[in-house]
Amino acid sequence: MNNSLLVVVLASGIAYGTPLLYAALGELLAERSGVLNLGVEGMMLVGAVMGFWAVQRIHAVTWLALLGAIVVAALASAVLAAVYAFLVVTLRANQIVSGLALTIFAGVAGLSSYLGNDLELAKSPARHQFQEVFPKSWQDLPVVGPILFGQSVLVYASWVCVVLVALYLTRTRFGLNVRAVGESPASADAMGINVTRYRYVHTLAGGAFAGVAGATFSLSITPQWVAGLTQGAGWIAIALVIFSFWRPTLCLVGAYFFGAFTALPFALQGHGVTVAPELFQSLPYVMTVLALVLVSSRAARLRFGAPAALGTPYVREER
Amino acid sequence: MIRIERRLEQPRWLFVAVPVLSIVIAFLFATVVLLATHHPPLHTFRRLFDAAFLDNGALTETFVSATPLMFTGLAAAVAFRMNLFNIGGEGQLYTGAIAGATVALLLAGAPSPLVIAAMILAGAAGGALLAAIPGILRAFFSTNEIITSLMLNYVVALFLDYLIFDSHSYLRDTSGFEASVFPQGKTLPDEATWPSWTIHGVVVPLGAVVAVVLACALWGLYSRTRFGFEVKVIGDSARAGRYAGMRTRRKILAVMCLSGAIAGLGGASQDGDFRHQLDPRGLTQANYGYAGIVVAALARYNPFAVVLIAFLLGGLQNAGFTLQGADFPNGLVGVLQGLILFCALGGELFVRYRVRFDRRQTTTAESAA
Amino acid sequence: MVHQHFRLVSPFTVAENVVLGDHRDIGRSFLLHTRAIERRVAELAARYGLAVDPRARIWQLSLGEQQRVEILKALYQDARVLILDEPTAVLTPQEADALFGTIRAMADDGRTVIFISHKLHEVKAVADRVTILRRGRSVATVPAADATPRSLAALMVGREIELGRRNGKHAVGEVCLQLDGVGADGDRGVAAVRDVSLTVRAGEIVAVAGVAGNGQRELAETIAGMRAPTHGTIRVRGRQLDGGDPREAIRAGIAYVPEDRLGTGVAPGLSVASNVVLKSYRRPPASRGPFLMLRAIRELAQSLMQRYDVRTSGPDVPARHLSGGNLQKVVLAREFSGDPIVLVAASPTRGLDVAGIEVVHSYLRGAAESGVGVVLLSEDLDEIRALADRIAVMFEGEVVGERDAQTATVEELGLLMAGGEEAG
Repeated sequence: MNNSLLVVVLASGIAYGTPLLYAALGELLAERSGVLNLGVEGMMLVGAVMGFWAVQRIHAVTWLALLGAIVVAALASAVLAAVYAFLVVTLRANQIVSGLALTIFAGVAGLSSYLGNDLELAKSPARHQFQEVFPKSWQDLPVVGPILFGQSVLVYASWVCVVLVALYLTRTRFGLNVRAVGESPASADAMGINVTRYRYVHTLAGGAFAGVAGATFSLSITPQWVAGLTQGAGWIAIALVIFSFWRPTLCLVGAYFFGAFTALPFALQGHGVTVAPELFQSLPYVMTVLALVLVSSRAARLRFGAPAALGTPYVREER
Repeated sequence: MIRIERRLEQPRWLFVAVPVLSIVIAFLFATVVLLATHHPPLHTFRRLFDAAFLDNGALTETFVSATPLMFTGLAAAVAFRMNLFNIGGEGQLYTGAIAGATVALLLAGAPSPLVIAAMILAGAAGGALLAAIPGILRAFFSTNEIITSLMLNYVVALFLDYLIFDSHSYLRDTSGFEASVFPQGKTLPDEATWPSWTIHGVVVPLGAVVAVVLACALWGLYSRTRFGFEVKVIGDSARAGRYAGMRTRRKILAVMCLSGAIAGLGGASQDGDFRHQLDPRGLTQANYGYAGIVVAALARYNPFAVVLIAFLLGGLQNAGFTLQGADFPNGLVGVLQGLILFCALGGELFVRYRVRFDRRQTTTAESAA
Repeated sequence: MVHQHFRLVSPFTVAENVVLGDHRDIGRSFLLHTRAIERRVAELAARYGLAVDPRARIWQLSLGEQQRVEILKALYQDARVLILDEPTAVLTPQEADALFGTIRAMADDGRTVIFISHKLHEVKAVADRVTILRRGRSVATVPAADATPRSLAALMVGREIELGRRNGKHAVGEVCLQLDGVGADGDRGVAAVRDVSLTVRAGEIVAVAGVAGNGQRELAETIAGMRAPTHGTIRVRGRQLDGGDPREAIRAGIAYVPEDRLGTGVAPGLSVASNVVLKSYRRPPASRGPFLMLRAIRELAQSLMQRYDVRTSGPDVPARHLSGGNLQKVVLAREFSGDPIVLVAASPTRGLDVAGIEVVHSYLRGAAESGVGVVLLSEDLDEIRALADRIAVMFEGEVVGERDAQTATVEELGLLMAGGEEAG
């Protein structure tokens, strides 16, 4: 029963959806402060490559090496996010073009491949990988076994993150402030909130999450470095933020939904279904488009709109 | 304290100074990156420049790299000018290539000019049709075109793979022994080879000529016609456009399709000028669409500047391919491109605003006190 | 400071807005204690007589209620000096009186209130001292008791100006605009205009009075074709319009001066010249066939700028750099040059100084005199009484009463604006 298609898809759906979830949570934080960061794909790739590099270099016991790798990945992406924040918050550059520039710079034809190649990371698999946490007996439980207990630490940590981010936004003073910054920076500014600082902090946080998301790929899902291994997951994450209506809990649902579609072709292959894999591989992307259309309908937008100041630089003198 | 005020007028010299300065600063940053990874910067840059423009046959190769960038750059510029962020140039180039190749194979045996003209039309149509999807979604369903056009890139890339690698489609080469083991596209008939002109040893392909003509036409369209006026107004303020009685939704669709058509032309040019078959691996690895966006942004969406910058970046791209190997950093080209773009974007601030350094302490915004 | 354009976060509740960014008291804690905050805000509101529900979300509130939230913010932070910028724009006359009462109470409390207004009789009603600013400089400070509207206006502009009303009847022609039972939905999908019937004749100025937020903006947009009507008919010179199409309205001879000058009436990044031909670019002389005649456009712009006295360094200046008054002149110049049958002007003098207001009023009068039917939507009763022949009052999307301008009193208009019943 645990080998049935449904269970396999659900279990791997959660696994594949986890990087999407991390990246979406990060982007959600940035967008709540009014900053649209299209560079997620690039930041994920840099996180993936640097995390991989770290894991090959750190000579320590497995869990320590992995922890160190995650930290390195988060930091590397946060640095990129800082550059981006400087461009769009301080220099007030166009956020869309800047985000694209970030992806091109760091992406599959840029920095991440440069580093991957230069550091010769493609030669060997990861020295340490994230494994399942719970004992085998638990994993063999019907249905819930593989789905709930067959996941890596990264998955469980992501659940904690969802809860933390949700609580942060709705129940803390800082969460209220950042939401104000994203909705009406002029009002927030008038109340003495430092718009610039909030935007920087949340953009960097977004970068850190993206880095962890990338590391999930290179240390857990495909424990190897391949140029461009995220294959557009960063873009799906951006779309995910939109149709989770900027709410962390819905991000989780959406991430696993898309994760399932990504897992489907592999699961089908495992079950001997030989249909052209490209058809299924294109499903996540097609579903993204469809979901986006649904969500952009007037009715939806009226009730659950984006942070009102998303994407516009805040120039105090130009209120 | 730093104060920022919008400029009333924008002095001409800024328009040149800022891009030039951005390139200089970008190279400075690149130098840092190279030093950090133990590559000699000056030597690397010299090799880049030589491989791009000076070596034997370099200019010809640069044209090969630059021509598709001209198309995708123009495609991006056309759309971005109206604040329509068509990121789907990549996919639209693919569909143009597919359409062009199909038509070329179908018309095998017909006179060459006919085949070439058909390829051009088919390429444009293919790109336009794909672009119509995000166009319709944006115009009539208010769906963000950035993500929809981008997602389609991935879908079409997969379709392209399917056509050649996983199916026995019309486009796949099924003759010969190797065909089933190393799948590739059918070679296009000779009639489908686009002409080129050799000037002083440099081969200028038809695609490049078409691109330049296109740039002139676009410039005229945007600055001298009613269509261009409407694009300007809607790009500046969609509400003002509607107020003026402009058909904003139709305009959005039209501009997206125009943008897609231009990118599709680039795809047809790939078939006819350079590859002479439908080449999924080559096309998807080249990332012409995304590079085109960089070109358009650097050119500030001016068609003539697009051609020029496409040429320069094409040289960079070419150098990257040529030098690829053991001792040359891979991905450096992307890094450089990104850096140049970053610096140009940052420099925009100085064009639009005047930055002043004030002695006074800032008063924090009016808090009721 | 209570700004003219409120600094409120629309999706948040009243309590959240009041406490935003607070660093003392209950705001200091890391976690939000929503209920405690709401209680505090309710106490404060009760103490100063500002009726507002701390749990309501800002977008649900009327502009008058939103203003109370702004005042609450200031009081919560125990402001000793309060600055109110054009506060009565969103209030009925009765609400304005109530506000004056609150202001005097705050003053009696020992606080200082600075009241910015261009409404001269208000200034007299509430102030102890009046300071007049002209071109960024303080020109004079006089005790309010000694000032008259005329003397204040003279100080503001530096010369005597005509504050008079429209006197005497003059020739009024055929019906040029007829609205019957028109309804339209607002931005949120709820009906903003419910059932409006209006008749406008050539040469007359019909004013639509009301507190902001009662559907005037939506009504103006519906007439101009920018909003589709959900029911009812719109007729220009007897011919029915389909509605919802700005181009149809333009072709039918409806000129529209929108409330949102910079973003709708004018494309801010484009040159003045481009904006002058914003509606006429499809025909000669601005274009021939698909091509634009750039030189003709420039000449057109220059002649219009001269005729309407638009002060700027040239027709190539981006529109956003023009002052409010000059911008409105450009819009009016453009609309008049189209030879309109109907002119719809929505809050045309908002944000303008006295000189600018004077110019706009003279253009509106001039338009009526040359046979255009003018629909003026405004929140400023003074302006309406100075210009209109007939006044229709709008409340919650309906026309609740029509009065002849010569005989209507401020009290009865104010009552209608607040939704009070018609007497008799």
